[in-house]
Amino acid sequence: MDKKTMMIIGGIAAVLVVVGCALAFMGGSHDEDPTHLTVAAHSNIKEPEAGFSPLVGWGCGHQNYNPLVQSCLFKTDKNGSIVPDLATGYSISGDGKTWTVNVRDDVKFSDNSTFDAEDVAFTFNTAKTTESELDLTNIANVTAVNKTTVKFDLVEPRSTFIYDLRYVGIVPSDSYDNTTYGENPIGTGPYVLDHWDKGQQAIFKINDNYYDQKPYFTQITLLFPEEATWLELAKSGDVDVVPVATSALNQTVDGYQFVEKSAGRAQGISFPYQNDTGETWNGTVKIGNNVTADKAIREALNVGVNRQTMCDDIFAGHASPEYTSVDTRAYANPDAKVKDGDVAQAKQILADGGWNDTDGDGIVEKDGVKASFDLYYPPDYLDRQSLATVFAEQAKDIGIEVNLVGADWDTIYNNMYSSAAVMQQTSPDPYKSIYQQYHSKDADGFYMNPGLYNNTASDKLMDDAMHSSDLNAANTLWSQSALANGGGWGPAGDAPFAWLVNYDYNYFIKDGIDIGQQPDGLGNDILINICEWTRTNSTAN
Amino acid sequence: MNKNQLLKFFGYKLVRFIILIIVVAIFSFILLDLSPIDPVNAYLRQAAVSEAQRQILQEYFGTNVPLTTKIFHWLVDLVHFDLGTSLIYRAPVIDIIIDKASASIVLMAISWLLSGIIGFAMGVVAGKNKGSWIDKAVKVYCYAIQSAPSFWVGMLVLMVFAVYLGWFPIGFGVPIGVKSTDATFMEWASRLVLPTLTLSLVGLAPIAMYTRNELIQVLSSDYVLFAKSRGEKGWDLVKNHGIRNILLPAVTLQFLSFSELFGGAVLVEQVFSYPGVGQTAVAAGLNSDVPLFLGIVIFSAIFVFVGNLLADLSYYLIDPRIKESEFND
Repeated sequence: MDKKTMMIIGGIAAVLVVVGCALAFMGGSHDEDPTHLTVAAHSNIKEPEAGFSPLVGWGCGHQNYNPLVQSCLFKTDKNGSIVPDLATGYSISGDGKTWTVNVRDDVKFSDNSTFDAEDVAFTFNTAKTTESELDLTNIANVTAVNKTTVKFDLVEPRSTFIYDLRYVGIVPSDSYDNTTYGENPIGTGPYVLDHWDKGQQAIFKINDNYYDQKPYFTQITLLFPEEATWLELAKSGDVDVVPVATSALNQTVDGYQFVEKSAGRAQGISFPYQNDTGETWNGTVKIGNNVTADKAIREALNVGVNRQTMCDDIFAGHASPEYTSVDTRAYANPDAKVKDGDVAQAKQILADGGWNDTDGDGIVEKDGVKASFDLYYPPDYLDRQSLATVFAEQAKDIGIEVNLVGADWDTIYNNMYSSAAVMQQTSPDPYKSIYQQYHSKDADGFYMNPGLYNNTASDKLMDDAMHSSDLNAANTLWSQSALANGGGWGPAGDAPFAWLVNYDYNYFIKDGIDIGQQPDGLGNDILINICEWTRTNSTAN
Repeated sequence: MNKNQLLKFFGYKLVRFIILIIVVAIFSFILLDLSPIDPVNAYLRQAAVSEAQRQILQEYFGTNVPLTTKIFHWLVDLVHFDLGTSLIYRAPVIDIIIDKASASIVLMAISWLLSGIIGFAMGVVAGKNKGSWIDKAVKVYCYAIQSAPSFWVGMLVLMVFAVYLGWFPIGFGVPIGVKSTDATFMEWASRLVLPTLTLSLVGLAPIAMYTRNELIQVLSSDYVLFAKSRGEKGWDLVKNHGIRNILLPAVTLQFLSFSELFGGAVLVEQVFSYPGVGQTAVAAGLNSDVPLFLGIVIFSAIFVFVGNLLADLSYYLIDPRIKESEFND
């Protein structure tokens, strides 16, 4: 090799280094303003591709969401209670089918137009027919009675309608245009959208017209990164709030505190509740499983697994045992729980139910049927994969064989009526967390109530709860439906599920940021109380 | 070349292009239709909705419309240059593609140039010094990088330059917390370096290997032997007799790499959270956003087609022999 070759290589290398260094020093500026906040969105709050419209994606289907730009009729306070926001009060008619809500008369939208009942009626009437995950099909009609009163006529009585009033951001009736609103949202919330780099970040500025206490942070940058880059974002130091992936639970990052919020995010295993009679749904989807349809199997698994071990092994302790899927809710029923981690009792339940290990392979049988079933899980979620694996290991200890099958969601939906599946339930709305989940009416073609659970006594209590016009009375009924006459959907009843863990939402939050007091069990949206946030050390970096 | 010949050449290319687009569109439709992803489920992401809301969504996504009807409507719209409206972005497909493609094209153009120039240079150096350590180094590099997926190379680059060394920002096409319209050129450019570097590192391997082999062949030909016997040697020999002979295949290959460039960009954009057409293609595919996905397919077909067309034109400029024959067919 001659000198010229060396020079060419050396030259290229030198150019690359010089260019690299120049860019590195000139490009790496930091935002020093302490009232600016940068938040990496949790994967549950993905970027709304269709824009920041509450009618087609912004916050749709996400519970406890603070839509920032819009405000809702009600909001969640620090105790987790639903309290008025744009509303001033409400009443429910005796038949539960008409809700009348009074709204404030001192609120202006960010474009200076005045907010009134007409805007509420328009928002809900429009949202009802919009193609999105926001499901308002139970609304018959919404009318503005006068400037401050709005009347909701429902198709069926639904005591849980308060949750819909809590989660739909109000848009202005005068200027709303479905095609342009997403990029130029106008609302009554604490912030306005300043700039949106699609696929990357949205920058929000304070709404000068906001009617409530103005937030400390004058600018919020919401980033939409891939989960794989979360840890690197925190390490780079450029982001104030970063969610922690399951794989990074043991990590610490200098300059950041590890913040853990109880989530009400129940994860567990659904069991096919009916026997396999050759029946199908839609002619193709198999229904029923003779092993899991036996109550002894479901009961033994609920009693025999060790939930605390799962919390420690899979989530490094950042989770708590979950028994009924609604343990943390106001309508939880502590009596419906069982005591877990008792392998001896689990074996006894199996023996009493006629399941014995006759061929000595460690797996019990009954009438020639081996206690073995498939468990479907989505492999793109590390936490659920780990949960399935640990569950299968623990099931083996009590003599039940669980075969793991990783599959995409469409495959899981097609197999969940005949096989167990790893499921997650996060909604604080009892219509979603109880009624859809366990009511036999919904045992058809949808992934709510995957095991096709069916109990008449429980159904009756759930129907009564839905029709109640007193929300406290409704909560009592919801609670009772978990354990009714020895049955019910709780593990102490019919045990159609084995709920296992309640996985916390974890964040790295930069030192010096005070996030106030957040409602417990609702940690879905870290920005829920953004108006209370402050930065106590005034130098941002 | 006269005007008629030119018209004939481009007319022929245009007919081929139209047939290509129609065939690509129909095949994409069939493939999307065969895909096991239920668009409604994909859109809902496990959110629970009632039967009535599901009906609304099924109608929106057109899950019950027959395939032939869908294809027919799409082609009719295409004749009016209407690519439809994206289902997930709820905006005209053409606007989304223009928005995303402008970011991608900058990325692809720079890495295409870099990979071409550096790859060619590496190939020449390796070929000229056949058997030396530098030749071996180039070969090892090329074999390794050719068998490594570009997203993996991207991850390595990201870990080394952004996380450990901290020289470059970690992904995103704009500085965090600054409006893209307010970003300085340097802020913008520094975010382009790592994705571009990754794409170049991957893209230069085939060019380098090909150039190296071509040069070795040329150097062992009779006319080079003759030149050597007249006393030419070293770089002069390569310059006078090699470069022009190996340039044509290298340029062809470089233009043909448009398709690989596109595929690489899709993966690299994912790794670096770079907001290009690649990221959008992934989102459209996973959500069964048929209009957007087809729009991107058409865009990529045009992209690759233009690459090939440029290759054809470059022959004409580089090789006089082709200038004679190509346009006289």
